[in-house]
Amino acid sequence: MARQIINGNEALALGALSAGVKVVTGYPGTPSTRCLASLLALDLPQRHIEWSTNEKVALEIAAGAAWAGQRALCTMKMSGLNVAYDSLISIAYSGVVGGLVIYVADDPGVNAGMAEQDSRGFAIMADLPMLEPASPVEAYRLMQDAFELSEETGTPVFIRLVTAVANSKTVVDVEDYGLPPQREAQLIRDINRFTKAGAAICMQQHRDLIARLDKAGEWIAAHGLNELNLSAAPNGLGVVAAGVAIAYLDEGFELAERYGFDPQAVSLLKVRAVHPFPAAEARTLLEHCQTVLVLEELEPHIEKSLAAEAYRMNWQGRIIGKLDGTFSRVGAYDVRQVIEGLDRALGLSIPAEALQGYAAEQYAAARPITVCAGCPHRGTFMAINEALRKLRYRKDEVMVTGDIGCTILGMNPPFNTVWNEVSMGASIGLAQGYVHAGVKTPVIATMGDSTFFHAGIPGLINAIQHQVPLTLIIMDNGWTAMTGMQVNPGTCATFQGEGGQQIDIAKIVPALGVDHFYQMDPSDLRSSVEILKEAIQQPGVKVVLSRMECAIQFHRRGDNTELAVVDMEKCALCKLCITQTGCPALSIEEGELKIDPALCTGCSLCMAVCNLNAIHMERVK
Amino acid sequence: MNYDIYLVGVGGQGVLTIAELITEAAYLQGLPVNYYPTEGMAQRGGFVKAQVRLGRRFVGPNIPEKGADLAISMELSESLKAVRFLKPGGDFVLWGHIWLPTAAMLGKAPYPTLDTVRGQIERAGARLHYLDPHNLPLFQGELVPDNLYVLGAALGCSSLGKVLSVEAVKQAVRGRWQKAAERNLFALQAGMEALIEVEG
Repeated sequence: MARQIINGNEALALGALSAGVKVVTGYPGTPSTRCLASLLALDLPQRHIEWSTNEKVALEIAAGAAWAGQRALCTMKMSGLNVAYDSLISIAYSGVVGGLVIYVADDPGVNAGMAEQDSRGFAIMADLPMLEPASPVEAYRLMQDAFELSEETGTPVFIRLVTAVANSKTVVDVEDYGLPPQREAQLIRDINRFTKAGAAICMQQHRDLIARLDKAGEWIAAHGLNELNLSAAPNGLGVVAAGVAIAYLDEGFELAERYGFDPQAVSLLKVRAVHPFPAAEARTLLEHCQTVLVLEELEPHIEKSLAAEAYRMNWQGRIIGKLDGTFSRVGAYDVRQVIEGLDRALGLSIPAEALQGYAAEQYAAARPITVCAGCPHRGTFMAINEALRKLRYRKDEVMVTGDIGCTILGMNPPFNTVWNEVSMGASIGLAQGYVHAGVKTPVIATMGDSTFFHAGIPGLINAIQHQVPLTLIIMDNGWTAMTGMQVNPGTCATFQGEGGQQIDIAKIVPALGVDHFYQMDPSDLRSSVEILKEAIQQPGVKVVLSRMECAIQFHRRGDNTELAVVDMEKCALCKLCITQTGCPALSIEEGELKIDPALCTGCSLCMAVCNLNAIHMERVK
Repeated sequence: MNYDIYLVGVGGQGVLTIAELITEAAYLQGLPVNYYPTEGMAQRGGFVKAQVRLGRRFVGPNIPEKGADLAISMELSESLKAVRFLKPGGDFVLWGHIWLPTAAMLGKAPYPTLDTVRGQIERAGARLHYLDPHNLPLFQGELVPDNLYVLGAALGCSSLGKVLSVEAVKQAVRGRWQKAAERNLFALQAGMEALIEVEG
């Protein structure tokens, strides 16, 4: 046993080790990444940990291991669950042999810029139990419970964290884990369970699925994952809190006490297993209370189930939540919702200003994010813009579809190159749609290397099969960069780890049969512009592989050999270098152009755009 | 004692390092702590914030509006994003560094003046402790790390000094940088002794 300061992601990882997990797969995605990344940083003999090509593949690997009787964990962010869902439904209907836990991270309040979806809805659709810890301490314990629950009821189990719990660090008591328990891999041939051959099998699997969820509900009740505490006196207020909302109760009660609130008079249902709905506890609470306050972030899933129970019981009280308009379905919760809910339920007359700070952020400067100093994507965006200008197109008449990852930063100033963003690999499909819609100007799709491997390849194959005239620019920086530098299939062999092999995009794309394939070095602006100009003008499917390693990795290893230096006598302070590159290493200080040597990686783009030769490169080693 | 700290700045300034040192020091003191960083774009010169909640064994990660006892800001404009979360009468430690966004640098977008920021902090009823970035001291001929200096200042001038022991913070610094401990401890000490303009 050791006390450690760890976050929710790390607590899940260590909980899984302690539960004897054998196989861990996943795809990086904020805020879930750290769970699997923290395992890769450890020396874990007799266990297999990997970043998979995408979440669907990751889940299938984990399910295969669980069907062979081992314990397996699969990690992803909410968008990744959307990718994995096709397989997930099928696996849910089959059930599992060894324990299978799927960790999904949701992001209420949108700290990481994707859809604010509530993945609890997926647990409902798949009839799978879902546990939601309210803190890293609970995450550690509930991960172990999840494996027990999964194995004892034969069902995959979800664990859901929200960003605030996934990224919160606190002190957790962690047990030693050692080696995973020795289990022989089993081969079970049972087509009734493991295939979907025919209506009889599928409908029986549906019955079994529902039965397993019922059994899971019994297991959850028997192990007390949800906590019900009734007040001494009946007909008072009941509070149902789920997931992270539980963590705000004490603080909210304490604040409300100043306005005459009595915490002893409240009945509490803390829901840590958010699916299946704890119907028995809910009925007891409803029987005991006249008003029930429901605290849950995003969608009113628990509230709706509670309302259904209330209807069945012919309960005549009042439910305060989202359905009555008290709370929003948008954004993260904090103690404010506890206070507002108590105020609404009990008429405490808490003044609005008690919860309202003085707003000053309207005076703050806007700080749009851009690519890092030395980022290879900067050269690609600049080259696209310049190539289109030279081909005499206005920016607003050429569609450049965007994709997920650092490459989307091309939507921002100073580039304003990319128009849209949907999901991993979607840029190439979207581009085909624009062509079929009758767009007469060139259509360009952009995506990164990891995105190409993840879900871009089927879209490209489709474009080739149907001979759709467009230009795909694959911006290959060698890493899954935006989530913090994970290895992907294209990462250089040196970093693939033991037994890993690099797959070269420059071999895949020509093999698919594209009409024209080009490679460019985005730090060489002039030749990149020429290559893009030619590619855009060619008929058929054109792919341009823009290849240069991520500057962060390059810089970290100290591999840069040159720095950009200003010649002040030549610099007329025209600021063209800043307006064209938007490089964070460039600034104007006290009337002089400055290049921060700590940030500069020697990409030379500022030198390339300077008309006065006022910037030159100097060797640093 | 419950004590909440709201930290803001720009990615690359070491804001999260301040929060991590506070977290580690609290742990060493046996004080319950929850540290919640928001670092989505930290590498890219974007807005960074961190919330440290001390004293409660089980606590929600987000500090409510008007909830923080102390705000620490490493960047003038970003300070404004912390104002809403500060308790009236709370301490606001402001390192007046200016990190201009490109548009502001080119004169195409506004950037707040020190007077504006000062005025907003005062209107929120906070006690402002302003640190002039020009006063950063040298250690062996080089400027000391500004984030350690700011942490030192917060310990020296604000209520943080009543919650965290200086020894625990120093121990956290030593634990993090075996080689550069001396330089960082010097920065911390210099911050604690910094002459600070107190207002409000």
